[in-house]
Amino acid sequence: MTMDWGRLVLAGIFNVGAVLLVAPFLEGVVRKVTARIQSRQGPPIWQPYFDLLKLLGKEDIESGDVPGMQQFAARLSFAAAVAVACMVPMGVGVPLQGAGDAILLIYLMTLCGVCTVLGGLAAGSTFSLVGMSREMMSMVALEPLFAVAILIGAIHTGSFRLETVLDGSVYAAGGVPVSGLIMLGVVALSFQAFVARVPFDISEAETEIMEGPLMEYSGPKLAMFKYARMVKLVAYSALFVALFLPWGSSLVFPLGALLTWGKVLGLVLLVTLVAATHARYRIDQAIRYFGCLLGVSMVALVLASLGM
Amino acid sequence: MEARTKLGELKEKFGGSIRRADLPGGGRMFVVVDPRAIKAVCGHIFRDMGARYVISIGADDRPFSGEYLVAHNFAFDRAKLLCGVLSYLPAERPALDSISDVVPAASWAEREFRDLVGIEPIGHRYPKRLVLPDGWPEGVHPLRKDVSWDHVPANFDGELEFKFDDPPEGCVVVPFGPFHPTLDEPAHFRLYVDGEVVRGCEYRGFMAHRGIEKLAESVLSYNDIPMMAERICGICGCVHSVTYVQAVENAAALRVPERAEFVRTIMLEVERLHSHLLWVGLACHIVGFDTLFMQSFRIREPIMWVAEKITGNRKTYGLCVVGGVRWDIGSEMAAELRGVLDKLEEEWRSVVDAVSSDRNIQKRTRGVGVASAQLVKDVGLVGPVARASGADIDCRRDHPYAAYDRVDFDVIVARDGDVWSRLVVRMNEVFESIRIIRQCLEKMPGGPIQSQIEDELPVGRMGLSSVEAPRGEAHHFVVTGENNRPRRWRVRAPTYQNLQGIPSMIKDQQLADMTIALGSIDPCFSCTDRMETIDVRSGHRRIWSGEDLRRLALGGRG
Repeated sequence: MTMDWGRLVLAGIFNVGAVLLVAPFLEGVVRKVTARIQSRQGPPIWQPYFDLLKLLGKEDIESGDVPGMQQFAARLSFAAAVAVACMVPMGVGVPLQGAGDAILLIYLMTLCGVCTVLGGLAAGSTFSLVGMSREMMSMVALEPLFAVAILIGAIHTGSFRLETVLDGSVYAAGGVPVSGLIMLGVVALSFQAFVARVPFDISEAETEIMEGPLMEYSGPKLAMFKYARMVKLVAYSALFVALFLPWGSSLVFPLGALLTWGKVLGLVLLVTLVAATHARYRIDQAIRYFGCLLGVSMVALVLASLGM
Repeated sequence: MEARTKLGELKEKFGGSIRRADLPGGGRMFVVVDPRAIKAVCGHIFRDMGARYVISIGADDRPFSGEYLVAHNFAFDRAKLLCGVLSYLPAERPALDSISDVVPAASWAEREFRDLVGIEPIGHRYPKRLVLPDGWPEGVHPLRKDVSWDHVPANFDGELEFKFDDPPEGCVVVPFGPFHPTLDEPAHFRLYVDGEVVRGCEYRGFMAHRGIEKLAESVLSYNDIPMMAERICGICGCVHSVTYVQAVENAAALRVPERAEFVRTIMLEVERLHSHLLWVGLACHIVGFDTLFMQSFRIREPIMWVAEKITGNRKTYGLCVVGGVRWDIGSEMAAELRGVLDKLEEEWRSVVDAVSSDRNIQKRTRGVGVASAQLVKDVGLVGPVARASGADIDCRRDHPYAAYDRVDFDVIVARDGDVWSRLVVRMNEVFESIRIIRQCLEKMPGGPIQSQIEDELPVGRMGLSSVEAPRGEAHHFVVTGENNRPRRWRVRAPTYQNLQGIPSMIKDQQLADMTIALGSIDPCFSCTDRMETIDVRSGHRRIWSGEDLRRLALGGRG
C-alpha cells in the first residue's frame, strides 16, 4: 500500500496542477477558436491567465446582502470544481480513489451548481435572483443525467470504486452495451449545459439578465467563479472521456496521459463549435429538453438493471 | 382628386365645424376644425375613413395668431395623402378634448404637448408626465415662446426621483434599464414579473432630452437644422435630415434638382442597408448567437467605407441642405458602389439562407412579441414591425418622395406579427434596397445638385414630410417662420409609435423574450428623446454630478 500512497500523492499533484494550469489555456483556445469562426482576430491565447491575475489583484469589494456568504460561495464554487478534478483521471489514475467513491463525485458535481445558486442568493439583486432561480430549475432536470450514467457504470461493474467506474464502465455489460450507448447520446446532448455554454448558458445570459448570479461580483471573487467555470470545462470533459471514451487511457505514462488530454481538447473544441453556431434557449425550452433526456436516461437505467 | 373627396366627406359630416381647409396639392391636406369637434372629427378620420394616425403637435402660436395650435396628423396611405387636422385654442385657456380614447396611438403625443407646450388634453386616461422629469416645476413649459432655450426654473429639482406606479398584486418589479447590456441608450422599463412571465410594464424614457426642437425654433437657421437633425439619431441620421428639408421644401413649395433627389434616395438606401445589417447582427447577439452577429458586422463594413468615401463620414453624412444635397456621386464612385452591392448581395444571400434554415433561431423568435393587426392600427405601429403584422404600408411607395416614384421595388410583408416575421421582413428588405440603389445609379440624370434660392422663404406655411426610415416612418412637421428659421419643427421618429406597442407585445411573455421583443422594433431612444450627448473625456478624471453637467451645458450661465 505504501507504494500506492506515493503514487496517489503524485497523481493528486499532477491532476490539480494540470487542471489549474491548463484550464485557462483551454479557455483561451475556446476564445481564439470562437473568434476565428466569427471572422475576428480574437484575444491572445494566454488572455485568460491575464484576466485571472488582473481580477485577483483587484480590490475585494464587499457588496450585496450578505458579504460573508458571497465570499464563501465564491471560494466553495472554486473548491468544488477542483475537488471534482481530483476525482477524475487525467491520464495518471484517480488521485482520490481511496478517499471517496462515485457517489461522492455525484455530490460534488451537484455542489458546483449549488454554489451558483448560493452566489446568486448572497448577491440578492433582482437579476441575481432570476439567474439563481433559472440555475435551480435546470439543476433539478440536469444533474441526474450524469448521475444516471455513473450509476449505470456502477450497476454493470458492481462497484462504486472510482477507478472501476471511471474506466468506460458504462459499456461493461455483456454483448452490445445498449444502456451505455444511450447514455453516451444523452450526456453528449446535454454536455453544453454541464459546462454552462451556449445554448444553455441560461442562468448567466448576459443580454437578458446581465450574467445573473455573477452580476454583483468583482475582483478576486469574480476570479474564483471564472476560474471555477474554466476548471469545470476541463474536469467535465475529462469525466466524459473517462466514462465514455476510455480507450487508450491506460497506456503507459506519458502516452495514456497525452491521449486523454488530446481527447479532452477535442471535446473542448466540439463544445466551442456548438456554442458558436447556436442561439440561447429559453429556460422553459431547456427544461423541456432536459426532461426528455431524463426520460430517456431512465429507460437506460432500467435496461442496465436488466443487464443490457 | 382624393384630397377633395376626403374633404367633401368631412364637410358633409361635420359641416360648420370645418372652419377652413387648404389643399396645396402634392398629397397634402390641412383642415382647420373647431376645437369642440376635434374628437369627433379625428375619431371619424381614424375609425371610419381608415386613416393611420401619425402624430399630434402642439405649438405656441401666440406671437403670430394670438392662439395656441394643435395639429393631429393622419395618413391616408392608399390615397397617397398626408392630412393635418388643426385646431386653434384661445391663449387664455389652452385645452381641448383628448382624442386618445378613440385614437389610442395619440396617448404619448398628447402627454408630450401637455408637458412641453402646456396644452391640456381634457379627459386623457393617463395624464402622467412623459418628457419632463418629476422635479420640473408645474406651469413652466419649455416649448412656449416666452421661455428661452436655456431657461432653468429656480425651483427645478434635478435630483428628485421618479414616482412610479405600483406593480399589480403578486408581481415583482424587474428593472430593465436605465442601463442594460442590450440597451445602448438610457430608457427604463419597469417590468412586472410573475415568476418568469412578464405581466406588464411601465416605461420611463426621455432621460436625455436635448431640446433640439427648441434650439431649431430659437437659435439655429434653416440650413443649420439639417446638420442638427442628422444628429438626432446615430443610425438613421440621414433620414431625419432628409425628412426635415423635405418638410421645409414642402412648406415653401421649393423644387429640388432631379439629381439631388437621386442622391438622397441612394444615401437613404445605403443607410437602410447598414441599419438592417446592424439590426440582424444585434438581434442574433440578443438571443446569444454571436457568430452571426459578428458576420453581419463584417458584411456591413464595406457599406460604411463606401459611405465614408462618398460623404467623408461612415455615419452622419452631412448630406442635405434645403433645396438640394452637398455631395455628388460621380461615375467612379458609382462603379465602386456597384461593386460593394454585388459583394453584399452574395454574402447576404448566404446569411439569409443560414438563418432561414436555422431551427434554433426560429425557436427563440416564432410566436414571440406578437403584434396583432389591431395593435398596429390602434397604436400606429410603423415600418418592419407593421409590415411583419400584415400591414402593407411603406412611405416610399405610399407617399413618394425623392426619386422613389422612379424606381421599382417590392414592399415586403409578412403575416405572423412575431419577431421571426420582423427578421424575415428586414432580411429581405436588404435585397430591395440593393435593387433600388442599382436603379438609381442607372437612371440618375446629370445637372446641378442644389437649386438656387433667391428669395426668403415664405412665412407661416406648413409642411409635412414622411420618410421611410429603416425602423419605419419618420415624420416631420414644419411651420415656416421669421429670422430664417422655422416657428415650429416637430420630429416624430418611428420608435415613438413603436415603443408604445411594447407593453402589449411583451404581456404574458417570458422574461427571457423581453430583450428580443424590444430589440425587434429596433428601438432608437435617442430619436424618441430627440436628444443625447456623449462626451468622451480623457486626461484627468472627474466625477460629474448632475449639477456640474448642467452648468457645463449652459456654458457657465447656470
